[in-house]
Amino acid sequence: MLRVAATLLVATQGLAQAGPMGFKDSWMAMGDLSPNWREVWVNYALTSRDAVGGGLLYMRSDDKTKSRMLTEATYTRLLKRWNTKESQANVWLLGGIGAVEGNDFSGSKLMWSPGVQLDYETTRIYVSATTRLFRASGLNHDYASVRAGFSFFEADYDETQPWFIVEARRMRGLSDKLEITPMLRLINKGYFIEAGVNNSRQWRFNFMYIF
Amino acid sequence: MISGIAQAAIQTIKVEVNGMVCAFCAQGIEKKMRSLTQTQDVYVDLKNKVVAVQLKDGQKLSHDTVKDLIKDAGYDVTKIETVGDSAQQIRATTRARK
Repeated sequence: MLRVAATLLVATQGLAQAGPMGFKDSWMAMGDLSPNWREVWVNYALTSRDAVGGGLLYMRSDDKTKSRMLTEATYTRLLKRWNTKESQANVWLLGGIGAVEGNDFSGSKLMWSPGVQLDYETTRIYVSATTRLFRASGLNHDYASVRAGFSFFEADYDETQPWFIVEARRMRGLSDKLEITPMLRLINKGYFIEAGVNNSRQWRFNFMYIF
Repeated sequence: MISGIAQAAIQTIKVEVNGMVCAFCAQGIEKKMRSLTQTQDVYVDLKNKVVAVQLKDGQKLSHDTVKDLIKDAGYDVTKIETVGDSAQQIRATTRARK
């Protein structure tokens, strides 16, 4: 259970061009997959501003000696949104609680993970910043990431739009090396995917789907 | 005789929407509108930030209902009107201007 919770939290932070939840009464599934970081989660939008869900997160240290598995329940809250004709900006509150297991301690521990995400996007530019605390007894895996990118061209609603996105992220106690990942993002009204290779030459694949 | 053939006028609710910057995000608007029994067709124009909801013959849909659904999808309505063009005609007109 702890593993799932951790996975969910990280996923919530990592993706999200559209934000870490869908529209009211929709389900959203997300995944963020790489050798040292594998997470999947799903949530349900109870309102246009609130979503609850659950997820799994596997994290491994850069030297491959230490790993974590988090299982958690999540809550996502859209605190504030600014809609203009050409842009959208958001402040998201992210929360999770679950159980984390590790290969350097026995049993599981209760982990909680409050966080905040800020994002701004137009049809051509995207920037975001996310921070999240991953805390449990004797564990501190606080996380931060920033993303920025641009689309190659504007696209109609029924066309696929390619983007170039760069993400830098870091997690205390597991990955003290700054991970930088340039990615190609494809956005369509039916799907959202990203693929890239980080500065450790590890592949990465992300997706979001609303149903 | 021809005048005796009743042909309902096309009614399309045309909405200007703020915040609509991404197709993946805006899919919520289309899904909400298509879920209505009154809806014949939906056109989303991401570049001009316009949503057009064409109603089935004889159907009624209030502007307030459309506004509420768009708000539930996470966006703000800045202008709403009912026009006599179909969603396909609005699409064709928009694309001809590009």
